[in-house]
Parts: sequence; structure tokens; C-alpha cells
Amino acid sequence: MAEHVSSLLRRSVGHLEDEVPDSYRLVLEALGPLVVEVDVDGELFALRGGRRLEVADGPAGVAGARITTSRAAILDLLDAKVALDEAVQAGTVGVQGSLDDVLRAHDTLLAYVHAAVRAPSQPGLLEALRTGPP
Amino acid sequence: MTAVLARSDFIRAPLLVAARPAGFKEWYHFVVHRPGWRLLVNFSLTSEASRAGSPQLTPRVIVIAHDQQWTGAIERFDDSELDVSADLGVMTVGGNRMTVRPDGYRVVIDLPGHDVRGELDLTSVSRPFAVNNQPVGDGRVSWLFVPRLRADGWLRIGRQEIRLEGNVAYHDHNWGRFSWGGDFGWTWGTILPSGPDDPWSLVFQQMTDRRRLRCLYQALWVWRHDEPAAIFPPAAVQTGFRGMLGRAADCTLPPPMRLVLGGEASDVPERIEIAATRAGDVVHAEFRPQSYARLARPSEVHLDRSVVLCETNGTARVTGTINGENIDFVGAGVFELLNG
Repeated sequence: MAEHVSSLLRRSVGHLEDEVPDSYRLVLEALGPLVVEVDVDGELFALRGGRRLEVADGPAGVAGARITTSRAAILDLLDAKVALDEAVQAGTVGVQGSLDDVLRAHDTLLAYVHAAVRAPSQPGLLEALRTGPP
Repeated sequence: MTAVLARSDFIRAPLLVAARPAGFKEWYHFVVHRPGWRLLVNFSLTSEASRAGSPQLTPRVIVIAHDQQWTGAIERFDDSELDVSADLGVMTVGGNRMTVRPDGYRVVIDLPGHDVRGELDLTSVSRPFAVNNQPVGDGRVSWLFVPRLRADGWLRIGRQEIRLEGNVAYHDHNWGRFSWGGDFGWTWGTILPSGPDDPWSLVFQQMTDRRRLRCLYQALWVWRHDEPAAIFPPAAVQTGFRGMLGRAADCTLPPPMRLVLGGEASDVPERIEIAATRAGDVVHAEFRPQSYARLARPSEVHLDRSVVLCETNGTARVTGTINGENIDFVGAGVFELLNG
């Protein structure tokens, strides 16, 4: 059975904290008080900050931004088959929230990518993401 | 050729990293020109902090090819998959291997995860040249280049297999300590004639600050057959970057970097003009980029920035006179632009 995306993200941010702590702190700063609820193929989880980044299974309760997507759409983005704006326009990535919260979620995504490309553990997690159902 | 290469183009990392690992980088770079097709292969070693915080050499292999457009792969390996031979002439990275021979190089590429394989024999047909300790930002880099080699072998990318037989190629080897994202930019170009019979080979380099407002160094090297025919120092060279190439990159590597780089805007010029004059020798080269790939690296200066190397293919028209001999050919160029 494929590892849940929430589990992969939890492991990913855990590695970032160990491997690239300065970049990890930038992700925390970018996220700030925002809670992001993520729905990947119906799998629901939430990302929140504070002292540490936490990935919690299930609905967020009160979420500032909500992202709806699929494992396949995430892989298309990471493989550069589509750009993020194209994915949003095509509806394979849906984003809901106030403008400020959506912008904060976007800044957090960029900070996360900048951190992930500096961390040696992340290519292995990307491969694990690929083993899931398309 | 002689054993000049084996003596001068050996792998520096084992010697230099042991003394001072911080910021060390080294890479072997090969460009192969085949009519209608280009190949770029790069073996690199970068001193990075390990998970435990101690320095380690991280090897990477880049293979990109241009047919209708650029495509390829970059793979980062664990340092446990790196081996450098005791004579400093063989670098093995996973299933990939680069061997410095007395007369050239043998490159074996094996990136099964990206469906890329190949074997290249690159035989030097021109004398190498070395440039030592050039400033790059707060650091320095040394480099050695071979303006022209003969390329034989094969490369398979996906379902496409390319055979090379007597095609022309270029090589450079770089090593030093500096930080990606520092206050520097560069333009590095190789121009070779379409056919192996034309004797001229050109190499161009320009180093600038990161915003490209100040030219710190530039030179044009012209080889005829296997010997240097003219070396134009900074004061003898004028370079112009005209217009902007109106197209997006064919590909971005590693692909996830497209998320932070965005998509459409290009800082690749529409054409690059190089004019060099010295002691009666005159050379004009005009390179017209056609398309490009983006190779992205995380900035080592700013955690929220990236450094982008644009690998650009195109045609080059070269005219002039050196030592009373006319130069007039249209060839292939691959220029690397690093704009900070």
C-alpha cells in the first residue's frame, strides 16, 4: 500500500528540520499562524506552524487556506510538466481562502521548495511519492 | 596528442578538499556538436555539509541533449557512490565514469532512473589551455579547456539513440572555492565549425558582477588545428548582448525548481556579438541562441534564492583574419549564461 501523502510530508518536514534548519525556520516564518488544509485524492490533512511544523491527519477545523489536488497533479508539478499557475487554471490544483492567506500559503510553498532542494533526503521521498496510485 | 592531459587535467578534489573543504567545487564539462544535435555532459563534485554537519563531497551527473529541444536529467548521488582513483584520473559516480586518458577522455553514462545511457570517447585534437585563480564573487576558480576534441560513441535518451562518429566536441574542467549566488555572473561559449575539416575553434569567456553591470574579465581564444592562433585579452575584446530571446526554457533541471523559478521570462539574449582586435588580428563572432535549458542550483548566499545557468544552443557566424589567414565559417555554438 502506498504511503499517505500526509505521512510523506510529515517525514519531509522532519528531515528539513534536521538537515537544513535555517531553511526550515524560513518555512515556519512564511507559514506564520496560517493553517492550511490539504485534500489529496480525498486524503485530508492540515499543516500548521508555531514552534514546529506539524502535519495532522484529518480536517483542520479552522483553516485559513484550503488546497485540493491529487497525487498525480503534485507529481506533474514536481516533474515540471506543468507550472503552478497552469495547474491552478486547469483546476488540478484548487486553492481557497482569503487573498492574504492564499498568498501566505504560496510563500510557504516557495520556502518549502527552497528548503527541500537543499536537503539530501528529499529525492528519496519524491520516489516514495511516485510509488502511490497515479 | 601527448600525455599533457593526464598531467594537467587530473581530479583536484582529493588534494584540495582535504586541506580546506569549505566552498570547494569541481566539475568536468563536455559539449558534443553533431549536425542538428548537441549534447552536454557534466560530472561535478561539491563540498556540502552532511546530515551530521561534517563536510562531504556530493557528486552530481548532468546529461542534457538538444534535438528539437533540450531534454535530459540531473542526478545527485550519495558520497558513498563516489570513487576517485589513486592516480586522480578516474571519477566514478554510481554507474557513471569519467576517465582522463593521455589523449582525451572516456565518459560512461548510466542513469537508469532517467533512461539515459551512453559511452563517449573524446579524443583531443587541440592543445589544452589553463586559466588559474580567476575571481568569482568572494572566491576563485581555475579552469582548463580543450577547444576541440573528436567525439565517438553513442548515447541513448529514452527511445532515441544517437551515434557519434568523428563529431566535434569541447571540454572544460573547473575547480575552486566560491559560493553559488555570490556577486558574479558569467558567459562561457564554445564555437566550433560544422565540419571537422575547418581548422578553427573558438572559446569565449566573460566574467561580470551579478547584475552584469561590470565586466571583470573577458577573453577570446582562437585555435587553429591543434595550436593557439590568437588569444585576445580583455582590452582587445568588445562584447554586445542584443535583444532578448522570446521563448521559455525547453526544460528546467532539477524539475522541482520550476516551482520557484516560474516559467516564461528569459534573460537569454537574442544574439551575442564578440569583436576582437589585436596586433593586426581581427575576429568577429556572432552567436544567435535558438533555445535553452535551465540548470538551477540553490543559492549558497541566500536561502530563498536560486542560481540559474542557461545552457544555450545556436548558430555562430565567425569572420576575420589571423596571421594573414582568413576565417569565415558558420558553426555551432553552445553558450552558458549565469546571470546571478
